[in-house]
Amino acid sequence: MRNRKGRSPELKVGLKYCGGCRAGYHRVAAVERIRERLGDKIEFVSSDCVDCDFVLVVTGCATACVDTASFKGRPIRYIKSEDDVERFITEATGN
Amino acid sequence: MSKLMNAKEYEESLRKLNLQVYMFGRKVANPVDDPIIRPSMNAVAMTYELAHRPEYEDLMTTTSHLTGKKINRFCHIHQSTTDLLKKSKMGRLLGFKTGCCFQRCVGMDAMNALSIVTYNIDKKYGTRYYTRFIEYLKYVQENDFVCDGAMTDPKGDRSLAPHQQKDPDLFVHVVEERKDGIVVSGAKAHQTGAVNSHEIIIMPTITMRAEDKDYAVAFALPSDAPGITYIMGRQSCDTRKIEGMTIDRGNMHYGGHEALVVLDKVFVPWDRVFMYKEYDFTTQLVESFAAYHRQSYACKVGVGDVLIGATQVVAEYNGADRASHVKDKIVEMNHLNETLYCGCIACASEGHREPSGTYLVDVLLANIHKHNVTRFPYQIARLAQDIAGGLMVTLPSAADLASPEVGRWVEKYFKGKSDIPTEHRMRILRLIENLTLGTAAVGYLTESMHGAGSPQAQRIMISRLVNMEGKKTTAKELCGIEKGDHLS
Repeated sequence: MRNRKGRSPELKVGLKYCGGCRAGYHRVAAVERIRERLGDKIEFVSSDCVDCDFVLVVTGCATACVDTASFKGRPIRYIKSEDDVERFITEATGN
Repeated sequence: MSKLMNAKEYEESLRKLNLQVYMFGRKVANPVDDPIIRPSMNAVAMTYELAHRPEYEDLMTTTSHLTGKKINRFCHIHQSTTDLLKKSKMGRLLGFKTGCCFQRCVGMDAMNALSIVTYNIDKKYGTRYYTRFIEYLKYVQENDFVCDGAMTDPKGDRSLAPHQQKDPDLFVHVVEERKDGIVVSGAKAHQTGAVNSHEIIIMPTITMRAEDKDYAVAFALPSDAPGITYIMGRQSCDTRKIEGMTIDRGNMHYGGHEALVVLDKVFVPWDRVFMYKEYDFTTQLVESFAAYHRQSYACKVGVGDVLIGATQVVAEYNGADRASHVKDKIVEMNHLNETLYCGCIACASEGHREPSGTYLVDVLLANIHKHNVTRFPYQIARLAQDIAGGLMVTLPSAADLASPEVGRWVEKYFKGKSDIPTEHRMRILRLIENLTLGTAAVGYLTESMHGAGSPQAQRIMISRLVNMEGKKTTAKELCGIEKGDHLS
């Protein structure tokens, strides 16, 4: 799998949102920020994708009521707040 | 593969219906494109649109327990307390996205109630209603239909039972039994979203006795079945939608509607009949439907979110947002709104499994929630009007703002903060007007009062469901009137 620039991304990530009933931040904008900041390092794919490195579950609040049953056995990482977004980017970029 | 319609497909599906709709004394040739009805169609369409958006699908869709296919949650029978919780959350989300009633919850509530009661009737009488209902449910799920759950009869003289009414049609009843089905007459009043529905599910509105058995019927009809006529209800400020300018509508795109649904000798085939004269199950059907529908008032929390947001914006536009009393009133609005949310979450969280496998909300807590809804939106609306100021109801029209003669005066004298366009201030004030005394107040206020049962209906249920003897006993034990283990 190659990204738009023809290079293989370092991270292939399945993306899953919660339902967003009372999100404390803009979840879609947060994912866009990750995409912009990580550029070629990351590629978001459908959460159904079985060969991704992990599933990134983006929830609007700490309750995280999203249904993750279909991801059983696969690594899952959560983003539940703006702080988590920055933490995720920092870890992915190493700085 | 089940059809999971998107908003456009839903709109097109409505165009294929041959509905007999009347408004302002005239037949509406094309309800979908009628400017007064269309905002309500847009609101229902949101239930389809969000089902296709990854950031909302976890609430808006689920897996059918019948077919294993992905379906819209509005066609689902709750299989767990998680399902019940997601229903409440979905209601808040859609209220927030539309700022009005999105009309689709009532059909979901009717289907869930019928999934419980048809099963129980069969257990007692050896009938086959549950099998019929499940086949019907598959049909609804397969086509992703909107169902109008229709319970409220006109009721005539409230002091008389259905069979005692001078006009027998004041409650929906059987007028003829045939080999292939039944013929029914009567009407259902206040039917939210009726004209935006593919199907109508009719249920009895009160507990029936043996003398009323002809009125103890539940069935489903295509919304354009021969003999059905819709007469649209008026809403405050409804004709603003045909004035040609958008500002005075308040909510640019969305709204709700109610209609009187008249059934004039309508034929119902047996495979669509889910209760036929089993009057002893009418209470169970009414109460389980009411419990689900009282939970559904989660939607008002989402509409409240919009009103609170609008109120904060107008406070900022007025330059009043830093005043301590304004801040405090905004906190009060949020407190009331989130208290409402607590109720719809609690009744879902405390839900239980019925013999049919369907999960039902905690009935006491659902009634508590709805009872709060009869009060708090009015208090929130009062605070919104307090902060918005009298201009909300004295503001000139959008046409005056656009007028070459007086527009400059409107622009000049209705300006708040200098960096905010007067038009923006007018728009946010009109939205608050819309929600608190315009078309959306039908849903946010009066529907909050009377929809899913008026306040007294909840008080009767609360009185019946609380464990008063347990409370008395513990009180007596704690103060020494009675001996016993108050922890048991």
